Amino acid sequence: MRYPSIFCALLLILLLPLLAAAQNTVCFQCHSGLDGTLAAPTKEWPGSIHAENGISCHDCHGGDATDFALAMSPASGFLGVPGEGEIPAFCGRCHPGVLEDYRASVHGAALGAGGPHCATCHGNHAVRKASLDLINPQDCGRCHDYARAENIRAAMQETDARIVGLQSDLGRLHRIGIATEGMEGQVFSARNSFHRLFHTVDIQTVRQKTTAIQEELEKVRQQVADVEAELSRRKIWGGGAIGLLLLVGCLALVLHRSYLETGSRNTDE
Amino acid sequence: MNMGKRIVDWLDLRLGMRDILEQNLTHYLLPRNINIWYTLGAVLLTLFALQFATGILLLIYYQPNPETAFASVQRIMNDIPYGWLIRSLHAVGANIIVLALLLHMLSVLFMGSYKRPRELTWVSGFIVFNLALALCLTGYLLPWSQLSFWATTVATDTAGAVPVIGDALVRLLRGGPMVGEATLGRFFALHVMGLPLALGLVLAMHLFCVRRAGISQPPFGPTPPPQPPAAFQHQEHPGGIPFFPHYVCKDLAVIAFFLVLLLVGVFFTPGLFIPPTALIPADPFSTPPGIKPEWYFLWAYQTLKIFPSEFLGLAIQGAAMTGLALLPFLDAGPERRPARRPMFVAAFFLGLALFVGISVWGHFS
Repeated sequence: MRYPSIFCALLLILLLPLLAAAQNTVCFQCHSGLDGTLAAPTKEWPGSIHAENGISCHDCHGGDATDFALAMSPASGFLGVPGEGEIPAFCGRCHPGVLEDYRASVHGAALGAGGPHCATCHGNHAVRKASLDLINPQDCGRCHDYARAENIRAAMQETDARIVGLQSDLGRLHRIGIATEGMEGQVFSARNSFHRLFHTVDIQTVRQKTTAIQEELEKVRQQVADVEAELSRRKIWGGGAIGLLLLVGCLALVLHRSYLETGSRNTDE
Repeated sequence: MNMGKRIVDWLDLRLGMRDILEQNLTHYLLPRNINIWYTLGAVLLTLFALQFATGILLLIYYQPNPETAFASVQRIMNDIPYGWLIRSLHAVGANIIVLALLLHMLSVLFMGSYKRPRELTWVSGFIVFNLALALCLTGYLLPWSQLSFWATTVATDTAGAVPVIGDALVRLLRGGPMVGEATLGRFFALHVMGLPLALGLVLAMHLFCVRRAGISQPPFGPTPPPQPPAAFQHQEHPGGIPFFPHYVCKDLAVIAFFLVLLLVGVFFTPGLFIPPTALIPADPFSTPPGIKPEWYFLWAYQTLKIFPSEFLGLAIQGAAMTGLALLPFLDAGPERRPARRPMFVAAFFLGLALFVGISVWGHFS
């Protein structure tokens, strides 16, 4: 449990300044003093994945977050609240791959005809981190039968577990000074490709593309295995050196004692 | 005739090598009741030599520049063959040296070995201790991580509490208003050249004092230690044990056990001396919460927090260190046996408990 807790602490150290910076925006200062739905974002956003990554109000809604007068001015790029049909394009500015897959899916085709958009599954200000947990009977069952979604979830389960496992392994290796940036980048890229698949809502596509993603992850797993094998080798060598030094120490003490005893005998004689 | 003997004969003819070796090894007698604490000097010499050797090897690849320092350390740790080993030995070795220095000082204190005629030995040893701490402080900045950057910012900021010259002192230490390229440059120069040179000179002085005055007799056992002489006199130990091979074996054993401690740190607990913030490159615009100094500076860190003003904390630290440096002159009585110095022994353990207590408080504060 030691390494996950250290990793979380590290993450918190990294993210706290981002959170503090976002809460200093004029959007936050003004809306936190309002009532009802206008204040809701200030309560929901701090626990979101966006807050965790330092994505603040103005990053989505535009405007000048440093100036009360210009905060909601179209002249400073303020976009306001998107209509329901505009939401995918609104979010897709930062998530273009996901937008592409969503638009090609049955979900995307049903947009405007009762079909779901980004916020239907992910929430709006309390945006949840994309994970398999979002595919569940309660959420999917709001619109349709869960059986098909369950099949998709099952097809993705193994890859998801592999990504989570690799992220944890890389965090542990980083903690002992191993350069993991390259491998983290590979996992991040594979994870992004994987998360795009969530939105195709097509089990055939999921199965086809998951294979390619798993191959990418396998490359990283192999690198992690190589690093861990090297670390094990180091420990074996280290253990050997420690054993040797202990032996030298003990022999030197025995030798010291024998010299003392010889010296005492010589003195007595 | 074998080659070794021929070389010794050749040197003996020109330098009197056999005489030197006899005087300093086989005929150099130590007290019979000499204890294990006396081996710490040899342990420290070995550890300092190891720091020197690993430091030189690190210099080959380390780049003292804010743009490249962190990356160069990462490269040493990950790409250079055995770079991780060299760097870990250097980083963990620094902690083991401070531990050995503290134990050496505490043993000398407890046995009263700092007393006349060994005042200069104590003072030079105390300077060595402070130079070692300065080496640790300057070395801390070199990896240019978040930890090193902000710990140095906090440490150098402390100098600002000195009245009148505080601000100028901070600027002198940093080479500017903030920790930056100039700070890295001067800390690097001090760490690899200025301080090792000073340490080498003072260490030589310390060893000279030890050899010249002779090894002090432990103040335990039935025979009380001799009274300090009125005139200079090398303390002889007739009937004692030869330094070589008798005591060298004991030195070797304790050195081996300290190296075990070092290798356990290097191979099995690499994260113990490298906190998470040491693995993130320095970012002057992002202050990580809870930056704390290394364990041996925690007492100083917490002392500054206890007192209402930093200056008061700094003054008390200064007074404590000055008192310790001048102890042989303040505690000038000839008695060295702990059993006959209850006040001193009480102060010793109280001071030790205070040091440990304040350090633990600093760790959890």
